[in-house]
Formats: sequence, structure tokens, C-alpha cells
Amino acid sequence: MGSYIIKRLFISIPLLLVISFLTFILINLSPLDPVEVVLQAQGVPTITDELIAQTKDELGMDKPFIIRYFDWVIACLQLDFGVSYVTGKPVWSLIGPAFLNTLKLTLVSSVVIIVLSILLGVICAMKEGEIMDKSVRGFSFFLTAMPSYWMATLMIWYFSVKVDLLPTSGMESYKSYILPVIVIAISYAGIYFRVVRSSMLSNLNEDYVLYGRACGLTERKVTMHILRNSLQVAISIFCMAIPIILGSTVVIENVFAWPGLGSLSVRAILGRDFPIIQAYVLILAVAFVLFNTISDIINAVMNPKLRNEI
Amino acid sequence: MKKRKMFVFLTMLMYLFVLVGCSDGNDAKTVSTNNKKKTELVYASAKDINDMNPHLYGGSMPAQGMVYESLVENTEDGIKPLLAESWEISKDGKVYTFHLREDVKFHDGEPFNAEAVKKNIEAVQNNAEKHSWIKLSTKIESVNIVDAYTVELVLSEAYYPTLVELSMTRPYVFLSPKDFKNGGTKDGVNGFNGTGPYILTKHKTDEYATFKANENYWGGSPEIKKITSKVLPAGETTFLALQKGEVNFVFTDDRGADSLDVEAMNQLVDSGDYQLVRSEPMNTKMIVANSSKSDNPVSETAVREAIWHSIDRETISKDILNGTETVANTLFSPNVNYADVDLKKRGYDLEEAKEILEESGWAAKDGSDVRTKDGKKLAMKLYYDSNSSSQKTQAEFIQASVKEIGIQLEIIGEESTSIANRRSTGDYDLLFNQTWGLAYDPQSTISAFTSEASYLHTTSGIANSDELYKKIDEVMVSPDEKTRKSLYADILTIVHDEAVFIPISNGSVTVVAPKNLKGISFKQTQFELPFELMNFE
Amino acid sequence: MRLFENLIKDRLGTISLIVIVVTIVVGIFAPIFAPHDPEEVNMSLRYASSSWDYLLGNDHLGRCILSRIIYGIRPSVLWVLVALFISVLIGAVLGFLAGYFRGKVDATVMRICDTMLSFPGYVMALAVVGILGVGLENILIAFTLIKWAWFARIIRTSVMQFAEKEYVKFAKASGISDVKIIYKHMVPVTFSDIAVISSSSIGSMILQVSGFSFLGLGIQAPNAEWGMMLNEAREVMFTRPELMLAPGLAIIMVVSAFNFFSDALQVAIDPKLITSKNKLQEELTISKIKLQKRWQNNL
Repeated sequence: MGSYIIKRLFISIPLLLVISFLTFILINLSPLDPVEVVLQAQGVPTITDELIAQTKDELGMDKPFIIRYFDWVIACLQLDFGVSYVTGKPVWSLIGPAFLNTLKLTLVSSVVIIVLSILLGVICAMKEGEIMDKSVRGFSFFLTAMPSYWMATLMIWYFSVKVDLLPTSGMESYKSYILPVIVIAISYAGIYFRVVRSSMLSNLNEDYVLYGRACGLTERKVTMHILRNSLQVAISIFCMAIPIILGSTVVIENVFAWPGLGSLSVRAILGRDFPIIQAYVLILAVAFVLFNTISDIINAVMNPKLRNEI
Repeated sequence: MKKRKMFVFLTMLMYLFVLVGCSDGNDAKTVSTNNKKKTELVYASAKDINDMNPHLYGGSMPAQGMVYESLVENTEDGIKPLLAESWEISKDGKVYTFHLREDVKFHDGEPFNAEAVKKNIEAVQNNAEKHSWIKLSTKIESVNIVDAYTVELVLSEAYYPTLVELSMTRPYVFLSPKDFKNGGTKDGVNGFNGTGPYILTKHKTDEYATFKANENYWGGSPEIKKITSKVLPAGETTFLALQKGEVNFVFTDDRGADSLDVEAMNQLVDSGDYQLVRSEPMNTKMIVANSSKSDNPVSETAVREAIWHSIDRETISKDILNGTETVANTLFSPNVNYADVDLKKRGYDLEEAKEILEESGWAAKDGSDVRTKDGKKLAMKLYYDSNSSSQKTQAEFIQASVKEIGIQLEIIGEESTSIANRRSTGDYDLLFNQTWGLAYDPQSTISAFTSEASYLHTTSGIANSDELYKKIDEVMVSPDEKTRKSLYADILTIVHDEAVFIPISNGSVTVVAPKNLKGISFKQTQFELPFELMNFE
Repeated sequence: MRLFENLIKDRLGTISLIVIVVTIVVGIFAPIFAPHDPEEVNMSLRYASSSWDYLLGNDHLGRCILSRIIYGIRPSVLWVLVALFISVLIGAVLGFLAGYFRGKVDATVMRICDTMLSFPGYVMALAVVGILGVGLENILIAFTLIKWAWFARIIRTSVMQFAEKEYVKFAKASGISDVKIIYKHMVPVTFSDIAVISSSSIGSMILQVSGFSFLGLGIQAPNAEWGMMLNEAREVMFTRPELMLAPGLAIIMVVSAFNFFSDALQVAIDPKLITSKNKLQEELTISKIKLQKRWQNNL
């Protein structure tokens, strides 16, 4: 087991390098001269050519591209992503807490999605073709066609203003989680519950089910067996869902004024704050790879057969 | 097939539900602002209070205005004492002697005295490039301690707006010297202890900041005991939060953007829980043209004039701003000091605009919507503050108007910091801006014509810019009122003729506050509110 | 034609197809269908409610909402379809190359795909917009950048399956050129797979693109786009909630139509699927996990 994990982790490293290199190039494509922007951020009123040359030297900008890249990677590993052009604060001091907030929202939403899709998936699979199955699936079809921000605004209007149960925005108490989590869960549970359902259904037709039934096991026990087998698919899907949700809370965060990465990045774009955009892209891409790695490891733990696949 | 029918049915049902849900949105329940919050204000702000260092420009001005104070105060009736009880000016206008209040302490308990004043002003001077827009920073020669509570400011030459510039929200305000880093403030500070009526107690970046009343405030402890600045996106989020009482106060921010549109404000007032208080007109909202961008049509006076003529200010004022702001035809409204100058009025006249363009060689080729000259398109970009809904609407409206005279205007919404950055780097064609308010107009706004951080790019492309800058330098040091008057008249005429500042409306500061809040007033500056004077009934 | 017959039998699928075709036609010929110029400002009609002249009323600049919805089809649906088409095209070409020739080509293409796919879609879109500036074209560029890799990978799998078939091996052995084999034998059989996967991602793409416009990062004024119309409506949501309705319902209608259609398409292609609807999509999700395994092995 241990060797699998090590091998698996080792495989992620080249990918991480490629990602970081791309991010580095990406930001070097930006139309602004980083030296000039740094000088502006420091509030230097007249930027002379000598000053630019001198700052270039100080910032190490005159070094060869590849050396700058490695300098940058080393700085990033120490969480030094530079300084925000707009606020003048270190990027990490802004993006760190925001990342944590987005992570909290993502994890809570994922748990809700897991519970909801397993629950609905199992019920619908057991009652395949019955009214319950059809209505849940019909409803989910409708919900996935609804723009999430539209749904979010309607929910704010209803639950926060009309009924006055929940806060409209921000992140102050557990109550603040309810609406954004519901909106995220609805948009994703609609997709994932179908996966659970179909995996349940295909399990229902497996030999071991027929065998179990033939041997006179109670229906309850058979269901438990099926459930356990389906759970595996479910878990691997959810492991994949977490990074996807992490990257797609942008719209929801902006509607609910959630102080997370999504709000931060949109503000950074509208304020042309490149160091923040760069750090945002890098951090999320790395998180994406790490979560995928973790999900692989979890899968391997659950299903030893996969370990040999490496 | 049956299954499909079920789908359709359910889907229809949901549509119906949504339709019904939406249609009765008008009677959205309003929640009365909580009774127990009698001494607390929570205001919504689109931006974080940011770096509260009073000697730099990153922080929110309303927040800095609560925490820090200046030596003197600019009021409707002229300069009044604040931290300085009285002052004398030497005959040659070069030495200002201030007698400080003796009962003032910084929030951390440090005494406010001549030494603190000296240290603070020197800290500002040590970062002089940053403050070049404020001409006083280039005139201060030394700060001398006369005795514990008397301090002397020595200038290199007489400079008549000295007291006005000392009264500004920043940079000449005072921070406890204990908070200085490396003996100064330009590399950041260790704390935010001012002398003002409120103390910053907690700050969570991009979430909120709380201020508590300074019980030892020399002017008496304020009645509003706690003020929270809550970061909320403008528009409906703020509106909802006001309705629910999560916030109970909003006001025009330091970039002149209102987070609510006029209708939403009126709806809040109609609900019976809120009042709307509006200041006298304080500034001029305008479009600033980059005359120095020589590769762009905007560098031509004729094009700028044509834009000026094609803006229907009456409609903007009446329909977009619901009559809350009046039409502006000049950079400064005539009630501003020295600004009562006879200038040619350029009204809304599309025909004249077309004629001007035609005369200057911009021809409409048959069939094409956009005029061209020497193969170049008459196309420009206009930047607006993405947090201001009225600016966006105005931008769209102007975009449609100038399209009729054959100008292609691209409009782009950005954060105000990015727009300020464009202004100082000259990376724009046109952008929304406003004059700096009664306390700053005209002298600071005009001296900003020469400052790179402000309007240098706006003014440097005009034909007689050298003459303009010479006159600006003269007017600032001229001791004679009459000379000043005529110089200001010349300056205003030059920029008016060149049409680099295209006025739209005269803006004011708007406050939406709980109905039972009394004592709402305004300062001469448009950027801060005197919270310490407010109280609940 | 059997495909078409199957499709016709499915009433919901037919309705969806009609909705889609009508939307596309109306979008292409917007100037004919729209009663007014969508950018014509008329401040005296600001927020006017619906009338015979302006069936859906007017917006904050007195512009005709119906005309804006109609013109909005272009960026909201048509341009998304174009972006999708381009990414499917790139994905198909590379997917065919990788799946058919295998070896080094395969390894290279898949390596590039892996890297592209390690940037979550939204993040890539924000990165592109952050560097190139806001605008619909940049959003679409970002989506094309992301999606082609995803299509290439699925198409490769599909191609690999068929490339192993006896008749393809036979064709190869009898010396028919690769181009001809791909054109004659591979494209027709994999086409249905391509149709299904591309149709199933239209819905979510429309939603995502409109989401960016909603945030103000997509299309810029004065162009009409549904997400942007919703953003404008959101500002007056509590004074004029009815403005949220038309663009919101337009999105829901078109997205559901595409979803139902894609569903019907799958069933029409493989009637066996009728017992468990959306099986393909679910399998795609599951196969994505398996694929993930595979590319990690490739590294």
C-alpha cells in the first residue's frame, strides 16, 4: 500500500511542474510590464528608464527566463506570491484566508451532495420506473437547466427577505452556509445522483445479487451488499467532484458575497491585479491535481485491484 | 412515453412555480431595523477599508476620517480649529505657528503634542513623491517645535492654500508615533491609533471592520457607540441587507459611486424605516478625456467637443438620476470659489456635433456607422466604475448617443482602483471621474492638472499646455486675490475651450439611514461623514 | 435515417429539436424577427411595462426587451455552438490521430490533454479573461481551450474501440490508405458518439458562458446577452422583478431543450438505452475516472 501511495505521489510531480510553468508563461503574456506596474504600485510618480532598469535588476527581471521561473517556483513554495498591485499587501495574506473560506464552502457542499445523491440514487434505483423515481429525475432535469445564479437570487429573495429566515450574504454563522450550499448542492446533486442510481441498477443485475437472493438472503441484506459495492463508485466520483466544485463556486460566491477565492478573483480581474490572478490559477490547479491524487489513493485503499494498475 | 409526459408535466409545474414566485416580488417584506441596536451603525461598502495608514492612499477615506484628525477643519464658513486651537501666519506668508489643543491623546494613550506633529509631518515629507499632488508637500521646509504644544511650519514660499490642504483627510493627519515603522510611515505602520472619535477595533479583510467610540475623545464621547463597515457587493445584495436590517446605513463612497440606485433608495424610504438625506451639490461628475493619447481620436479638440455636444444631460439628470443631480455645463459649478467665469455653453445638439466632426475631417463613408479619417476609425474606449450602477447606465446611454453622430464607443467596467491606475498611467481614452469636492475645488483639482497621478495625461496633450501649467504654478503662490481671480479665469477658460473635462452632473453625497437617526450632516469634503454628531432618537 | 425515425418517435425529443431549430433560425435572422433595434435607446420608455409595440416591455434604457432576447440568441447560443464546434473539431482531429495511430502521437496528444484538463474549466476561463481582458470572445477562447482536450480524450477512446474491429484490421491489411480508412470506416461509426457527447455539453456550456456575462466578465455593452440582461435585471430585482423573468426563462428553455434533445439522441442511436436513460452520460462520468487512471499511467 505504502509503495502505491509513494508511486502515485511521484507521478503528480511532473504534472505540477508543467502546470506551474504554464501559469508562469500565462502571466508573462499579460500586456502590462511587471516592472512598471510594481513601480506604480509603490506610487512612484515619474517612471524613468533608469529607474526601470534599476528595478529590473532588483527584481531579478534581467535574468534568463528559465532562472526566473525557478526563482519564482521556489518563492511560491514558500507561499511568497508577490504583492497585490491594488492593495500592496502580500498576495498570500489575501488569498490564503479566501482559499480557506472557499474550501469550507466546498467541503460542506460536497457532504450535502454525497448524502443527497446517495439517498436519492438508492431510493430511485430501488423504485425504478415508479412515480418517485420519475418525479425525482424529472425534477433534477429541470434544476440542472436552471442558471445557478438565477436560482440563488430567487432563493435570497424568498428565504432571506420574504420569509426572513436566513442572512442574505457574507459568512458570519452557520446560517450563512445554508443558501449557498443548497444552490451548489442542487446544481451538482442532479448530476451525481444519476451516477449513483445507474451504478446501483447495474449492480442489481450482477450475479452475486441473484445468488444471494437464490440463497434466501433477506432483501435487506442484499440491498446492503449492493449499497456497499455502489458506494465505491460514489466515493470516487465525489473525490472528483470536490476539485470541480472548488473551481466553480465563482458565480455563487459573487452572488452571496462569500469572502472566498471566487469573489477575490473576479475583483482581481476587474482591478487588473495580476499577481492575484496568477496565484489563484496556480493554487486551484495544484489543488485540482492534489485532490485527484488523493481520490486515487482512496480508491486504491478501497479496491486493492486498482493498486496494480499503476 | 408515459415517463416523458411526466417529465414535461413536472417541468411545466416548475416553470409555473417560478412565474408565480416572481410576480409578487413587489411586496417584499421589509424588516424594521432592530430596536436594540440603538447605538450602533452598520454601513455597507463595496470595498474593504483596506490599509488604514493615513499617510498613504490605499485606505477608505470615510474610515480614515473617523480615526484620524487634522490640525484645522474646512467648513462652510472657512477654516476652523480642530487639533490646533489657534494659529498665526507670518507677514510674508512663509511661517505658520499652530497652538495645539492640550487635552488630546492618541487612542493608545500617547499624548498629542508638538513632537507628534513634527514626527507625523516629517513622515509625510519623507515620502514626498507620493504626495506630489498636494502642492504643500513641495513647499514645506521644516517643522519646528516651539514648545510642548506649539509648532511652527516653515514654507519655502508663500502658499495661499496651506490651511486648506492641511485640513484634508490625508496625508496631513496624525498617527501615534508609537505605530511608526523604522521611524516613518512609508513602509507601513504597526497600528492605527489616531486621535479621532472612533477607534478601529477589528478588521477582517474583505468582510468587515468595526470601530468603537473613543470614550476619551476630546470633543466628548460620541453617542453612536459602534460603527461597522461591512463589505457587500453593490446593488441588490446591499438593498436586501438594508431591508433585513443586517446593515442600516449606506452613503456615497469615496469614488462617488452609490451602491443603490435611486429607485431602490426611494423604496427603502417608502417602507417607513429609512430616511434619505442628500447634501448640497458638492462636486462635478464628468468624463475625462486623454488629450495626450496622440494615436487616438480623443486627442483632437473637435472630437472632444463633439462628444460634449452629444450628451443629453437633461435626460441623464431627469431619467437616469431621477432628478437627484443637476445638470452641469462647466467643470466647476459657478458657486465654487473663483469659478464664476463666463464660459461658452455647449448644449445637447447632435447636429452641431456632426458638423464639428465633419469640419475636422471625420467623414461618414456611405453605409458605415462609424466615421473615418485617413483610414482611421472614430473609435474610443470609456471606462466606468463597475460598482456604480448609475455610471454604467450613463455610459450605455452616452454610447448610444455618440453612435448617432458616428462615434464608436466601447464601454468597459472596472474596479475603481484600476480606473485610478489608468488615469495615472494614461492608459485610457475616456473615463468617468469627479472633481474632488468643495474642500478641494478648485485649487486641488486644478493643481492636480499638473500631477501625473491625476490629470497630467488629461491636460498635457492640449495646444497651450505650457501656458496652462505656468498659470497654475503662478496662481498657487500668488498672494493677491485679484491676480488669482484672473489667473483662475484663464485656467478654466483654457480647459473649457479644449473640452478635456466633459461635465455631466453636479453630484452630492447621499445617505440612507434609519428613520430615527438624528444629526446627519456633511463635511465640506465629500469623502467623510461626521458620525460623531449622529444620535438615535 | 433510422436515427431520424427513432428521433421522430420520441415526442419530447421532437419538441426539443423544434425549439432548438427555431431558436437558431430566429437567432441567425434576428434582424427579421426582432421588432426593434435592440440597441435603440429611448429614455421615455425606461422600464415601461409590456405593450403592443414592445411585447416584453423595456429595460433601463428604454430598449425593447423582446428584441434584446432575440438578438441575445447570437452570443448566448450561437456563439457557444460555434465554440463548441471548434473544440469538437480540434478534439476530433487529435482524438482520431491519437486513437488510430497510437504510439508517440497518442502519448504526446494525451500528455497535452492531461495538462489542459488539470486546470478546472472556470479557473482557465478566469485566467484567460484576467490576461486578455473581459469579453465574450475571451470566454469562448478559454472554453475552447479546455473543452477540446476533453473531447479529444473521449473521441480517442471511441476510435480505439473501433480500430480494434476486424474489418478495420482487414482494411489495413489490404493496403487501403489510412486517410481512406478513417474517412470511410471510422468517421461514420464514431460520429454518433461525437454527436452525443457534444450535444450533452451544450447545456452546461450555455449556462457557464451566461454565468460569466452575469458577473460582468463576458460580453460588453451595448450587446444583448441573456446572462448580462439578468445582471442588469438583478440591479432592480426588487423594484422590477419581472425583468428577471424573460432572460431567465429563455436560458432554462434552451438549456432544457438541448438536454432533452441530447437525451433523445442517445436513445435514438442506441434504443437499448431506453431502459436506463442517460446511461451514456453516466458512463462517461465513470469512464472519466478510468481515463484519469490511464493518463496518470502514461506520465
